[in-house]
Amino acid sequence: MSADLFLPRPARVLEARKFTARETYLRLALDAPLGHRPGQFVMVSLLGLGEAPISISSGPSDGNELEMVVRDAGSLTQVLCAKQAGDVIGLRGPFGSGFHLEQLYGRDVLFVCGGLGLVPLRSLILPVLAQRARFGRVVLISGCRTPADELYRDELDAWAARGDVEVIRLVDRTEHQPWSGQVGLVTAPIPNLGLNPDKLVAALCGPPVMYKFVVLALRGAGVGNHQIFVDLERRMRCGVGKCGHCQINDVTCCTQGPVFRLSDLADRPEAL
Amino acid sequence: MNARLCTEDAVAAWLRALTPAQEVLFPERSPQDGAFRFEPVRPTSPISFAGYLPTQLPPAKVFAPARDPLFAFRPTPDGSFEVEPHLDTTARVIAGVRPCDLKAIHLMDGVNAEGQEDPHYFARRRAALLVSYACPTPCDERCFCASTGSLDHRQGADVVLTPVDGELLAEPLTDAGVALISTLDGHACDDPASLVQRHRDARPAPFGRQLDASPAAIGQALARTWDAQVWLKNAEACFTCGTCVVVCPTCYCFDTEDEASLSEPGSGTRYRSWDGCLLQDFAVVAGGHDFRKSLAGKHRHRVKRKFEYHNGRFPEDGAFCVGCGRCGAQCTAGIDIFHMANDVVAEEAK
Repeated sequence: MSADLFLPRPARVLEARKFTARETYLRLALDAPLGHRPGQFVMVSLLGLGEAPISISSGPSDGNELEMVVRDAGSLTQVLCAKQAGDVIGLRGPFGSGFHLEQLYGRDVLFVCGGLGLVPLRSLILPVLAQRARFGRVVLISGCRTPADELYRDELDAWAARGDVEVIRLVDRTEHQPWSGQVGLVTAPIPNLGLNPDKLVAALCGPPVMYKFVVLALRGAGVGNHQIFVDLERRMRCGVGKCGHCQINDVTCCTQGPVFRLSDLADRPEAL
Repeated sequence: MNARLCTEDAVAAWLRALTPAQEVLFPERSPQDGAFRFEPVRPTSPISFAGYLPTQLPPAKVFAPARDPLFAFRPTPDGSFEVEPHLDTTARVIAGVRPCDLKAIHLMDGVNAEGQEDPHYFARRRAALLVSYACPTPCDERCFCASTGSLDHRQGADVVLTPVDGELLAEPLTDAGVALISTLDGHACDDPASLVQRHRDARPAPFGRQLDASPAAIGQALARTWDAQVWLKNAEACFTCGTCVVVCPTCYCFDTEDEASLSEPGSGTRYRSWDGCLLQDFAVVAGGHDFRKSLAGKHRHRVKRKFEYHNGRFPEDGAFCVGCGRCGAQCTAGIDIFHMANDVVAEEAK
């Protein structure tokens, strides 16, 4: 019996950078490697304030560093977004199913990211690009509300410049800001991509409303539910399947998810 | 076997004598509100097995109390922090545990052992001995334990007390139980099984309220049910007070909160407290989206958890509703899971 199930370990902030008005990028140093899979998450503690689940944004690594992007959406994340290099936060994890990279080998890979959804999916995008030759066509659709809300702008530029990744960037509206990408929803480009449904695997992460419409668009392109992975958000208090908050019908999102194969959610109407 | 047959007075004297070496808990009626609660046995405590009503809270909650300190934290000079887990290993004997509540503890053992073991639950659980009491009659008009399959539950008890022929048969089921009853005054019994059978034969039949279908059939009916009228009907009556989930012996959901020390800045304690799927904001995430917004959906989730959802995870254990009747008895709006389960079966059969 391990007493440390609920005990956070210290993680020191190496770099804190404002990404947008609402989101802050944090790079952290741990006392030991995290050893995470893409799509996993950690429970972040600010002792005295509480704990919240935060997606891991960095790719799998043997090192002690970890990246995340935090949206100022509550009392805990407000303080987290104000952290600076040298500050120490608490951390438990990694938790959750995550993606298994080898299941994607040999496939065309489509990433559909809405808003903050790019943050967790980046933990999968990075290893896919690092082993680019193992995959077929790679397409990334990333949408956000306005140009000022776009996350990882420099990396999106760099990925597009590689030439071996199709990067489609969208905003809901330009609000008179400079914008060279498209205007519309992340579903809009899907019918025109000429996807090969037999070879495709799609990974989706975004706001709750996004999933149904992207799944409909993918279905229209002939993509089956077993080829679609969804990375879901839920309220979580423990990360280890005990607190009950994240239950989706009979499954716990924190241990059996947050990444699910869509076909595994067929009889779980609470999922999407 | 080391079973022995004793008078109720001998059992009461035995339980009193087990203190103060360990904490002994037994159902006691409160002179203030008349409710029964598991209270520490004192030298003067009344101990009576006949006719004690179900306790307001089930004994399973002893292992996961309403507000449970998980760990203390304090800052370190290098700007970091250190933590110290809080594990309660108090030696306890919980006596007078009815079979429904014993079954519930067995189910909570499974839930807390699943995946990674919950250290706080098992610190208390492993330091506790359970003395169960086989009910000779339904404890009250709400009970439906026989119908949910928990009336004859014995697994998890260290000692089972069975009333038979005006005496109490004490059967130890574990080595710790054998040691525990070594100080119990009584005469040896060579054939406890026949006495247990005699006790069962003397019980009224049917025993308590009977569900309209087996727990398994209710689970199957629920699995075919989603947008049922029963959820809407009960949602209209419900005040969302959460009493049903607080008093349920198989509800275990919790929230966490930090309590900061005012005298030592940066120090404090993280607690977990009971939470429940019937309560508002239970499934709300940062940003405000509620993943189970409707009250009807909350009722559906609760009932499905008791009769359907956990069956896949614990296929040997049957229903997670043990038929104790507490939620129906204590609901501020008179909603009873017994009727909800029956209504699901009736509605689904239409």
